[in-house]
Amino acid sequence: MGFESYHPAIALIWSVGTIAATVLFKQPVFLVIAYLSAFLYSVKRNGWRAVAFGVGLIPFILAFTLYYSSYHHFGVTVLRQNMIGNDMTVESALCGLTIGILVASVVMWLSCVISVFTADKVVYLFGRVSPRLSLFLSILLRLVPRLKARARKIATARKAVGKGIGQGNILQRIANGVKIVSMLVTWLLESMATTSDSMRSRGYGLKGRTAFSIYRFDDRDRSVVIGLFACLTSMLMAYILGWTQIRFDPRVVMAPITPVAHVFYFGFALFCLLPMVLEVWSEQRFRALRSRV
Amino acid sequence: MAHFEIKDLTFSYPAAKGKRSLEDVCLSIKKGEYIVLCGKSGSGKTTLLRHLKSVLAPHGKRGGEILFNGVPLEKVSQRDQSAKIGYVMQDPDDQIVTDKVWHELAFGLESLGCDQKTMRARVAEMACYFGIGDWFHRDVANLSGGQKQLLNLASIMAMQPEVLILDEPTSQLDPIAASDFLNTVRKINLELGTTVIITEHRLEDIFPYADRAIVMDGGKVIADDTPRRIGKLLYEQGSDMFSAMPTPVRVFYGAGGEGECPLTVREGRNWLSRVFPEAPGVSSFPAEDLAEEVADPALLLKELWFRYEKDSPDILRGVSAEVATGSLYAIVGGNGAGKSTTLKAICGICKPYRGKVKVFGKPVEKYKSGELFHGCLAMLPQDPKSLFVKKTVREDLEEMTRDKALIEQIAATCQITELLDSHPYDLSGGEQQRAALAKVLLTKPRLLLLDEPTKGIDSFFKETFAAILGQLKEQGITIVMVSHDVEFCARYADRVSMFFDGQILTTDTPRRFFGSNSFYTTAANRMSRHVFQNAVTAGDVVELYKRNREG
Repeated sequence: MGFESYHPAIALIWSVGTIAATVLFKQPVFLVIAYLSAFLYSVKRNGWRAVAFGVGLIPFILAFTLYYSSYHHFGVTVLRQNMIGNDMTVESALCGLTIGILVASVVMWLSCVISVFTADKVVYLFGRVSPRLSLFLSILLRLVPRLKARARKIATARKAVGKGIGQGNILQRIANGVKIVSMLVTWLLESMATTSDSMRSRGYGLKGRTAFSIYRFDDRDRSVVIGLFACLTSMLMAYILGWTQIRFDPRVVMAPITPVAHVFYFGFALFCLLPMVLEVWSEQRFRALRSRV
Repeated sequence: MAHFEIKDLTFSYPAAKGKRSLEDVCLSIKKGEYIVLCGKSGSGKTTLLRHLKSVLAPHGKRGGEILFNGVPLEKVSQRDQSAKIGYVMQDPDDQIVTDKVWHELAFGLESLGCDQKTMRARVAEMACYFGIGDWFHRDVANLSGGQKQLLNLASIMAMQPEVLILDEPTSQLDPIAASDFLNTVRKINLELGTTVIITEHRLEDIFPYADRAIVMDGGKVIADDTPRRIGKLLYEQGSDMFSAMPTPVRVFYGAGGEGECPLTVREGRNWLSRVFPEAPGVSSFPAEDLAEEVADPALLLKELWFRYEKDSPDILRGVSAEVATGSLYAIVGGNGAGKSTTLKAICGICKPYRGKVKVFGKPVEKYKSGELFHGCLAMLPQDPKSLFVKKTVREDLEEMTRDKALIEQIAATCQITELLDSHPYDLSGGEQQRAALAKVLLTKPRLLLLDEPTKGIDSFFKETFAAILGQLKEQGITIVMVSHDVEFCARYADRVSMFFDGQILTTDTPRRFFGSNSFYTTAANRMSRHVFQNAVTAGDVVELYKRNREG
């Protein structure tokens, strides 16, 4: 039901698109659109934790603005002088604020992207580029939980003969810890030898390796791609035509907010919120269907 | 035409200084045959199997020839060998390459360069055939051992091999998962006609279905015949391998039975019914005294309750037990019932939230941290590898103590004196177990805890291990072990407890315990319970049989 149920390619286009646009589009309207939709979607995906996270970012934005304006002194509208006699200007404060909001938006977008991109999607996308690369990624993903489990097992076994990390004096404890790491390495090498036997035994290294995927690019994905590209076109035009720009030095000059610009605002907002719109829409429909039963 | 033709195969490892691991092995394996390869650890089974696939063949000096479908194996292309010769190894975990079940199923097909459509169809087929559908999308890390090994088998079968080679595939599995796995292998052989070559300790589960059993010893084939006749051959030769035969076979020849040898419990029952048409004169061993109160228990557990997380279900739900000093106490029971957790609770690694653990009369939490694990109790973990740190067994033992004399003495007790200079990882499962035991014994425990000590060990090594435990008992060491191995417990334990649903339900002597069970009991008991009341080991059945025939 969620956005993660679409084909990984869509998640990729959307993630790259939103983050790139968020970084490039500094005009205040675009900035606010990006910031608000990042906040909304992260709350939709991650719930209350995202609210706390999003609110928690605000002090950082303000702190950054303060820091930026105290060290950059371009601009013509002087507010006041700071204690060492440098000018604090409105322009540098606004520029700092813009960068702060921008970074906060990107951070929130990343939290959404991580929850949309499950590990197997990443493996799949790499598989399109190089089956070998995606295989190594997959092996790596398997290794991490195995190492953890093994470390726990060794630690327990050592503890039960009086050689645990928490037993003996400090020197012994350190020595015991080091030994556990060394055992892990030995075990890992030994286990990888078997794994490599198993890989070669199943034809690893033959020419013409392919990558299997459980994903299917269906009509639903196709229609979303069309929608995404329509929005992307409008965003590209906005960028080329300069609707997304703002300058702070020497004074603030930004693309004006005209009726035509609203088209571009809409296109960008739609792009950012498309996953959320799709999710809300399908949840609504599901609820409607269920209530009819 | 033979599927595999092995002609005069000899092989020696480079480090073996001319000692041959395989000597003049000649075998011919027909298409669709189901072949069991048996032999002690180190008899050359694995070496032989690995020669049947070029990429896995060990390096060393080799003579003789192997033909696959009439073509020398070296001439068969890598691509053909990968697809046509499937090889399942011992450790379920190490063989799995990728992190997702579906990806693992497709691994071989990816290597062969199949297109998406073929892969989809084959993967779907395999998932259905092996019943993987329910866990198709899971992470491999969340599977049980049995599921992992089934996945290994399925991912090899996806390549549609002609031959399936399995090297002790169930040694790391519990009995239920193991027999599930072996049934699947048998189904593949029956339904698809895939040739199966398997080495296995659990002969009871596969002997009745195999077409041929091949016995190896010291790198030579010493017997090659149908399972029904192989027992006789081994018995007459007085071979060590006879102890690995299924219980009915051992009872039959041990008692000097005549006619056709029974292979299954059912055949064994019928044979006994024929021999004793009426109830025999001596039908049971004298009743033992009821288990009395233990006067001075080495270990006392009183209503232990334990859970791993605050909100997780209870694992231990009121475990109580008393273990007499100097006895071997065995806890049997299903997977995940909490047996291993009980051991951890005894040595204070898991802290029960209710109940008492008293070791030698003193609550375990009153011991100082150094005191408990030095000269009091120690645990041998399920996987002996999790104890080895050093490059040789000797250095590993020296990690525990500086007392050379003690090391020599304990190495002698554990029968590892000759192995002291080997790398611990180069030893066989049984040898590793003994080396780990030696290491544990160097802490001079008076109470020894064993977690599944017979897992992955062949019957011959089990006897050695049991003899060592016997010696330890004579020295006054109390032993508590948890195990799936009903046969081992019946033969060597002083008390057996049934663990179920987080509790110890019953405790009794093995004879009374297994004698009163009808499902959860030894093969010897299931085979003889209609004639003899409380014979629980093959030796018991043979003895009662002889008393009746002679007396």
